[in-house]
Amino acid sequence: MTHVPKRLLEFTDRTAIAGVGYTPFSKDSGVSTLTLACRAVLAALEDAGLTPDEVDGLATHRVGDSAPPTLVGPALGLSDLSWHLDQFGGGSVSHAVVGQAALAVAAGLAEVVVCYRAINARSEFRMGGTGRGLPASPEVQYQAPYGYVAPPQQFAMYARAHMLRYGTTAEHFGALAVTQRANAAKNPRALMRTPITLDDYLASRWIAEPFRLLDCCLETDGACAVVVTTAERARSLRRHPVLVSAAAWGGGTSHLSCDDPTVTAAAALAPRLYAQAGVGPADIDVAELYDCFTYSVIVQLEDYGFCPKGEGGPYVASGATALDGALPVNTHGGFLSEGYVHGVNHIAEAVSQLRGEAGDRQVPGAEVALSTAQPGYVLPATSALILRRA
Amino acid sequence: MPGYRPEPDRDSRAWWDRLARHEFAVQECDACGTLRFPPRAFCAACRQEGWHWRETVPEGTVESWIVSRQPFVPGHRDPYLVVMVRLTAVPGALVYGNWRAERQPEAGERVRGTFTQVDEELTVLDWAPESRIAIRSGENSPVR
Ligand SMILES: [Zn+2]
Repeated sequence: MTHVPKRLLEFTDRTAIAGVGYTPFSKDSGVSTLTLACRAVLAALEDAGLTPDEVDGLATHRVGDSAPPTLVGPALGLSDLSWHLDQFGGGSVSHAVVGQAALAVAAGLAEVVVCYRAINARSEFRMGGTGRGLPASPEVQYQAPYGYVAPPQQFAMYARAHMLRYGTTAEHFGALAVTQRANAAKNPRALMRTPITLDDYLASRWIAEPFRLLDCCLETDGACAVVVTTAERARSLRRHPVLVSAAAWGGGTSHLSCDDPTVTAAAALAPRLYAQAGVGPADIDVAELYDCFTYSVIVQLEDYGFCPKGEGGPYVASGATALDGALPVNTHGGFLSEGYVHGVNHIAEAVSQLRGEAGDRQVPGAEVALSTAQPGYVLPATSALILRRA
Repeated sequence: MPGYRPEPDRDSRAWWDRLARHEFAVQECDACGTLRFPPRAFCAACRQEGWHWRETVPEGTVESWIVSRQPFVPGHRDPYLVVMVRLTAVPGALVYGNWRAERQPEAGERVRGTFTQVDEELTVLDWAPESRIAIRSGENSPVR
């Protein structure tokens, strides 16, 4: 059992997510990311039963593509925030932002923190890598001259390494895409709700072999926000509280130095995360796992301990991750089918499931959820949360 | 101009200058002898700064590859193959390049780097099967 310092046990279950808010997801929001952020923040507060005047913290993550707290605060008349966080990073840090908000609340630096991500990833700033500049990283010079620049290429590279080492197949990736689409069909918010078959997956066009179009997440315009407050405060609010049982971040290896590209930073993070919450993989009722691509989920199922290393593909193909399977995964449809809000919509879906408010896609009796960020490729870091119904 | 040129930084410029002279070098730590790539000031093994270049043959094994089929790079629509290679000289290091052979790579295959001169200032490193280094001009020309 991983050693857990006592101060961490005092953090466990001290804070809660008291509200979630969304804008509609679309291919063209027609508004600024500042507007999207304000709408999502207000929607999350409304859900919690809080007013903007009760907010004393704001947090977001972004890669130079969205409105920071220093814009959103004044735009909503929040002139005296006692804590804010403007975290650089993409999907690797989404859950670290909520973890840091929970730390700030647990430490008493703030009492009501809204964490949001607002993005026009389709109409303004395509995350897929076409039509925008290269990231400002010294590692890019060793890749860009060879036409190797975009996340679909990079994750395809890691996916093939996994296929070569463990025999993972296109049918395994396809099974995941099909399963998540079936979940999205039960989610009114999802952008893509028409069910697909394995044949549809196999017939979808190549993006970067071994990835097809249906291996890739949607590029989406939209915003999502969650309200973090003390567990005590959350109990007095409108919704059933969802406790932050564990928050962990760190780890990662670079593009350019890595002993085994089929093992992600999640493998090192998972023991710390589970130990904080005092649970193990068998205790997780529902998992909302970062799915920028199909492969990302398959490798996380292994690295978070739901199946042995190398067996993520067969695990998905067995039906284990379907709504009625042993471990329902990405019940909202994920980035592949609901929409891509850089991690926050995975956290919000976990909250909906633990409240028992997920409608036709509800996992009966869900009490403990795992939600994760990008597992540490490309940007060498990852983060994750374990949430628990109070 | 199609494609992207590398943007060397203060740690890497001398490495690119050597590559332009068709020399492949990695850094060797003065204190502990550990070889490293990419070029950085510190040895991650002993955290010392002193180092010197160690010229070596660009050799490695194939870790993975993709065939890019989407116009990710301005001006290029044709499919091209990018290979991920584990450097023999620095086993922890992964390097990338375009594949210079008519067939696809094989997992774990031994490969050799080939110097592709783009222009007077710039040479990049591509990869080919170990047994087949000579490249006829125009064949499988890499994307840039
Ligand atoms: Zn050293």
